[in-house]
Amino acid sequence: MEIIERIKTNKSIDNQTEIQKICLHKLQLSPLPNPKSELWRLSNQSKFSNFLDYSVSEKNPKFDTPYPNTSQNTVRLIIGENCQIKLIEENYSIQQLSEDELVKYIKKQISCFDQNENWGDLLNLSLSSSKNILGLKINGSKIPPIEIFSHASSNSLNAKTLVIFLEKNCDIDLLQINLGKDNSSLSQSTFFCLEANSSVNHGVVSYGENKSNLLNSLNVIQQRDSEYNLGSLHFKFNYARFEIRIKQSEGNAKTNIKGMQITKKDEQISTYTRIDFNGPNGFLDQINKSLADDESHAIFEGSIIVPKIAQKTDASQLSRNLLLSNLAKIDTKPQLEIIADDVKCKHGATISQLNEEELFYMRTRGITLPEASKLQLSSYFQEIISFIPVSKDKWDLLDKLLNEN
Amino acid sequence: MVNENLVKDVVKEPYKYGFVTDIETEKISKGLNEDIIRLISQKKEEPKYLLDFRLKAFKKWQKMNEPDWAGLGYKQIDYQDIIYYSAPKQKEKISSLDEVDPKLLETFDKLGIPLTEQKKLTNVAVDAVFDSVSIATTFREELAEHGVIFCSISEAVKNHSDLIEKYLGTVVPASDNYFAALNSAVFSDGSFVYIPKGVACPMDLSSYFRINSGDSGQFERTLIIAEESSSVSYLEGCTAPMFDTNTLHAAVVELIALDDASIKYSTVQNWYAGDEEGIGGIFNFVTKRGKCLGKRSKISWSQVETGSAITWKYPSCLLLGEESVGEFYSVALTNNLQQADTGTKMIHIGPKTKSTIVSKGISAGNSINSYRGLVKMGTKAIGSRNYSQCDSMLIGDQASANTFPYIKSQQPNSEIEHEASTCRISEDQLFYLQSRGIEFEEAVSMMVSGFCRDVFNQLPMEFAAEADKLLALKLEGSVG
Repeated sequence: MEIIERIKTNKSIDNQTEIQKICLHKLQLSPLPNPKSELWRLSNQSKFSNFLDYSVSEKNPKFDTPYPNTSQNTVRLIIGENCQIKLIEENYSIQQLSEDELVKYIKKQISCFDQNENWGDLLNLSLSSSKNILGLKINGSKIPPIEIFSHASSNSLNAKTLVIFLEKNCDIDLLQINLGKDNSSLSQSTFFCLEANSSVNHGVVSYGENKSNLLNSLNVIQQRDSEYNLGSLHFKFNYARFEIRIKQSEGNAKTNIKGMQITKKDEQISTYTRIDFNGPNGFLDQINKSLADDESHAIFEGSIIVPKIAQKTDASQLSRNLLLSNLAKIDTKPQLEIIADDVKCKHGATISQLNEEELFYMRTRGITLPEASKLQLSSYFQEIISFIPVSKDKWDLLDKLLNEN
Repeated sequence: MVNENLVKDVVKEPYKYGFVTDIETEKISKGLNEDIIRLISQKKEEPKYLLDFRLKAFKKWQKMNEPDWAGLGYKQIDYQDIIYYSAPKQKEKISSLDEVDPKLLETFDKLGIPLTEQKKLTNVAVDAVFDSVSIATTFREELAEHGVIFCSISEAVKNHSDLIEKYLGTVVPASDNYFAALNSAVFSDGSFVYIPKGVACPMDLSSYFRINSGDSGQFERTLIIAEESSSVSYLEGCTAPMFDTNTLHAAVVELIALDDASIKYSTVQNWYAGDEEGIGGIFNFVTKRGKCLGKRSKISWSQVETGSAITWKYPSCLLLGEESVGEFYSVALTNNLQQADTGTKMIHIGPKTKSTIVSKGISAGNSINSYRGLVKMGTKAIGSRNYSQCDSMLIGDQASANTFPYIKSQQPNSEIEHEASTCRISEDQLFYLQSRGIEFEEAVSMMVSGFCRDVFNQLPMEFAAEADKLLALKLEGSVG
C-alpha cells in the first residue's frame, strides 16, 4: 500500500491544491476505511491493498478510443486531455467551471464526508491534480449527447474527477466510460448537481483488462422536479467498487437506476448505493443485477433512507442475482430505513441460477444448451443495456458480454 | 385523515401485569465475579463439569465487548450492579403443588397461568419460573408415562446429567456472543424437555417466566431435545412488574431435532416495556437457536413480541440434516420509546433444506422496529430454498421501521427469494370499515390483525387468541 504510506508522510503530491490539502489532511487522520464497518467488511482486503499498490501517475498516455467517433453530433471529452472547453451554440452551452466554482462546490461536499462512506472520494480528491479534474456547466436545450472517458495507464494509479452542473430545464444524455488497463488502478469520482426541472440519462460503462482495479464513486444531488436515470455496467475488473450516493434534496424528484455487474475468474465487484429522500413525493425505481461465475464474488448493498419529511415517497429496490458456479459467491443486502408513515417502500432480492424450466423448454424446441443459456443471459443483460444511453449500439455491449459468458 | 389522538389512545392501555408479589426472597449480593459463579453453582448443587462450563464462559465473557452493531440506544449496563441469583424462599423440596407458597400460586393465578389442580384441565403442562428458579411444573406424571421429560433445568442437571452434559452448549456455544457467554456463566434456571424416539408429545408444553425482583437479572436457559420421529409444541410466556429501573434478561434457548423430529417453539413476550417517557422496562437480549441435526427434521419459531424496552433477538435455525426445514413467523409491535431489533438466521448447510421467514413489524409512537435477518446457503446446500417476507406497518410519523436482510449464497443450485414492504394503515380501508358501522378502534384492530394473520395462523390456538387481544390492547389509542 505504497500510496497510503506516502499519504501518511505527506510525500505523495507536490504543489498541492487547496482541495488536495484538505483531503490529505482528513486522510492522514485515518488513512484507511474501517474494514469492520458495514460498507467495507466484505471487501477483499488483499485485492483492496493491490488497488493501493501502484504509484500515482499524472501522465495520461495517448488514448486510443475503443471505437471511432462516427457521429459528428456527439461531444467527446477525455478527462486529463481536454483542458479548455467552451462550446457555446445557439441553443446550449457547455463550459468549463471556473476554479472558484469548483473549489467552492467540492469544499462544500467534503464538509459532510464520512471517513468510511466517502473514503473513495477523499482518496480521489487527494490524488487528483487540477489537470485531472473536469468541471462542466451545462445549460440550454437540444444539447448533443456527451461522452466522457476516464482511463488508467498500466502499472500506475490514476485519479480522475468529474464535476457537472446541470442548470435549470436542461436535458442531456451522458455516457461515462471508465477503462482499466493491465495492472492498473483507476479512481474515478463524479459529482453531479441537477438543478430544478433538469433531466439526465446517465450511462456508466466500466470495463477493465487483466488485473485492473477500479474505485468508482458517483454523488448526485437532485433538486425538485429533476429526473435522474442511471444505467451502469461493470465488468472485467480484478477488483471494482461502485458507490452511488443520490440525494433528492427537496423531494419531488425522480430517480431510476438499472445497474449490472459481472464477475468471472477470481474477480470481486461490488455496488453500494445510498438513496436519501430529503423531501416529499420522491420516487425511486432501482434494479441491480449481478452475475457471478468461476470463483468470483459479487456484492450489492443498497440503502433507502426515508426521514419524516419525505412523506409520499414511492421507492422500490430489486436485487437480482445469478450464481453460475459452485465456487462463486454472492452477497446482497437491500435495506430500508423509514420514519415517514405515508410512504410506499418495498424491496426484493433473489439469488438463483438460470431457470431450468425455460432451458428445458428451449431444448425441447431444438435449441442447444449453450444457445439456450445464451438466450436467457441475453434477456437478463438486455434490460440493463437498453437503459444505457448514447452509444450503446456502437459498443455492441451485449455481444461483448455474451461472448465472454 | 385518521384521528391521531384516537390511535394514540388505543396504544395507551396500562400494563396489567405490572404488580409486584410481596414475597420473601433469597438473594445473593450484587456483582459478578468467579466467586459469585461458584456460589450460584454451589446453591444449585451442580456437578463439576457444569461449574467448569460456567467458569470457562465467564472467562470468555470478560474478553468480549458488548455488541453495538444493532445501533440500539440504551444507557450502559453496569454488570456489577445486578443480582445474579434471586429465589423465593420456600421449603427445600416440594412433593406436590400444595406445598408451593400460596402467594406464588396467587401470582401465577393473577397472570392467568394454570398451576393449581382445578386449572390443570386445560391440557397444557406448565413450568413456572419465578426470578431465578422454577417453582412448579405440572402434569409431570402424565408426561412421564409417555417417556417425556419436562422439568426445570436444575432438576435435569441432577436427574438427567448425561443428557445435559451431552447437549448443553452444543447449539449456542458459550463463546457465541456477549450475552450468550454471560448467560452460560450465570444461568439460574429454565426448562428442560426431552422427547424420546417416536413419541408425539401428548400435550403442549409451556414455560412461564416471571421477573419479580427489580434489581436482579433473569438468565434462564432452555434446552429441548427431540429424538428421532418425535414432535413437540412448546409455548413460552413472559411478564414482569413495573419498575423505574431497567432489568436485564439474557436468556439462551437451544433446540435439537434429530431425524424426522419436529419442534414448534412459540413465544408471547410481554415484558414490561417502560413508561411513555421510556423510563424502566426490560432489556431483552436473547439468543435462541435450533439445530436441525437429523434428516427431514423441522424447527419452527413463532413469536409475538410486544414488550421490553429493548429487544435484541434472532431465533435461528441451523439446517444441517438433509431435507430439514426451518420456519420463522414473527410479529413485533413497538410503541412509545421501545426499540426492537429482531429477525432470524437461516443457515442452510445440508442439501435440499428449506426455510420460510414471515416477519411483520408494527411501529407506533417514537419507537424503532428493525428486522435484521441472515439467509445463508453453504456450498453443500444443493437444491435448497428460502423464502422471506418482511412487512412493516407504520403508525404515526415519529416511528421508524427498518429492514436489514443479509443474503449470502455460495450454492448456484439453490434459490433465495426475499421481499419487503412498508405501508401504513390505509385510510381507504379504514373509511370503508367505518362506513359499515365498525367503530374506529375496532377497525384499526381488525386491520392490524389482518396484517399479522400469516403469523397468527402459525400460533397454537390459545396463543393466537391471546396474541390478537394483546396487540389490540397494546395498540389502543395509537393509530393516527
